[in-house]
Amino acid sequence: MRNLFAFLRRFQVFLLFTFMQVFALYTYFTYLNFPRSQYLTSASKVAGTFLSAKHEVTKHLNLSKNNTALQKENIHLRSQLPMSFVRLENGLVKINDTLFKQQYDYIPALVINSTFTKANNYFTLNIGSAQGIEKDMGVFSDKGIVGIIHNVSEHFSVVKSVLTENINIDVMIESDGSFGLLKWDGKHPRRGSISGISNDTRIKRWSKVVTKGGSGIFPRGIPVGKVEKLRTVEGKPIWDVVVLFSENYRTLQRVYVIKNLLKEEQKKIESLIPEDKPK
Amino acid sequence: MNQVIKHSIRFVFLALLQALVLNQLEIGLGIQVMVYPLFIFLLPFEFSIIAMLFLAFAMGIVIDSICNTYGLHTSSLLLFTYLRPIIFKMFAPREGYDLSKESNLFEMGPRWFIYVFGFLLLIHHFWFFLLEMFRIDAILFILQKTFLSLPISFLFVVLLQMLFIRKPKER
Repeated sequence: MRNLFAFLRRFQVFLLFTFMQVFALYTYFTYLNFPRSQYLTSASKVAGTFLSAKHEVTKHLNLSKNNTALQKENIHLRSQLPMSFVRLENGLVKINDTLFKQQYDYIPALVINSTFTKANNYFTLNIGSAQGIEKDMGVFSDKGIVGIIHNVSEHFSVVKSVLTENINIDVMIESDGSFGLLKWDGKHPRRGSISGISNDTRIKRWSKVVTKGGSGIFPRGIPVGKVEKLRTVEGKPIWDVVVLFSENYRTLQRVYVIKNLLKEEQKKIESLIPEDKPK
Repeated sequence: MNQVIKHSIRFVFLALLQALVLNQLEIGLGIQVMVYPLFIFLLPFEFSIIAMLFLAFAMGIVIDSICNTYGLHTSSLLLFTYLRPIIFKMFAPREGYDLSKESNLFEMGPRWFIYVFGFLLLIHHFWFFLLEMFRIDAILFILQKTFLSLPISFLFVVLLQMLFIRKPKER
């Protein structure tokens, strides 16, 4: 017993260092994929307060640019209002349509903290579960997709952005519908890649890339970017498609969170698929 | 000024500078400026290493929780702290360290500071970028990030000391 204590005292520094190092590495590698709590992330109350204060200062830096983008979107929406149409036929009454049911709802949010130089980049939003945000909701801006909600606290939430290594969003080339998974290699914040498109399909440069909308996180057709070039992958019959993102994530401020009203229904029906049993 | 107050102010200032200003900068080419190891480096020579490890842990957690890096800064700073006494012993002057001095650029001389702090910062940066990418095929990118960030971080540290630390009078 005395030997044990002597051993512990002799190596106490090294043991403490190892213990802390293991703790840090453990949180680093587990939180990347499965966040279990909001402590130690920017969704926590203390960090969120600091970041809100920082945002109060830095939000003015891109203000005019963001306002122009919002104004453009407003013009587009205003042009669809009834008051901007000339009435062609008198006597028509607009009735509540039963052919369409609303599937997606959008919640506006502000990005109060973002990074774009790291290997995995997360954005913090100023709204949380109190405003109806849940984990795994999609996030997009007026120019393109942003990411998926990763972690939620009462008043803040963290988005796992497109600029993370294993984001894997279903995307497709708009012109011919061939689809694959969106990836990011951790280098340039304007370029991502699509993997899984076989190299017998012809893809034109600068054709538009949009979301496929299969998993119920994003609706179909939210813009992602444009095809910049095609690269061959050695030893595999697939293209490595380089995508130039349409959103510049460096100046991103105003985003929308997607609430899928029919998600439960989709999950319920998909859970009825029998699982493959190992033979 | 009281030593405890001085080092507490440095802790808060460097942690907030790193998390709210330097981590938000984009310089390009994968460069990231990291100056917070300066806090650990400037602690007194006779300071207990156990306490130092706890301080490093606290500082890493503060920066990580603001920047969503989940333990990346903590791990690198712990390594920096653990190696500090070892490297200090390697570069010790012949008659040992003068305990009344502080280990900053002016009191220990530029030559000693460049060797010791540069070496420790190199290990810190390499470990940080290695963990961040964590792929063996990205080793060239990791080295690029390390050796481009290192001089810039060092420059920032020298500037911070020139701004905030009073030079000792010439004898």
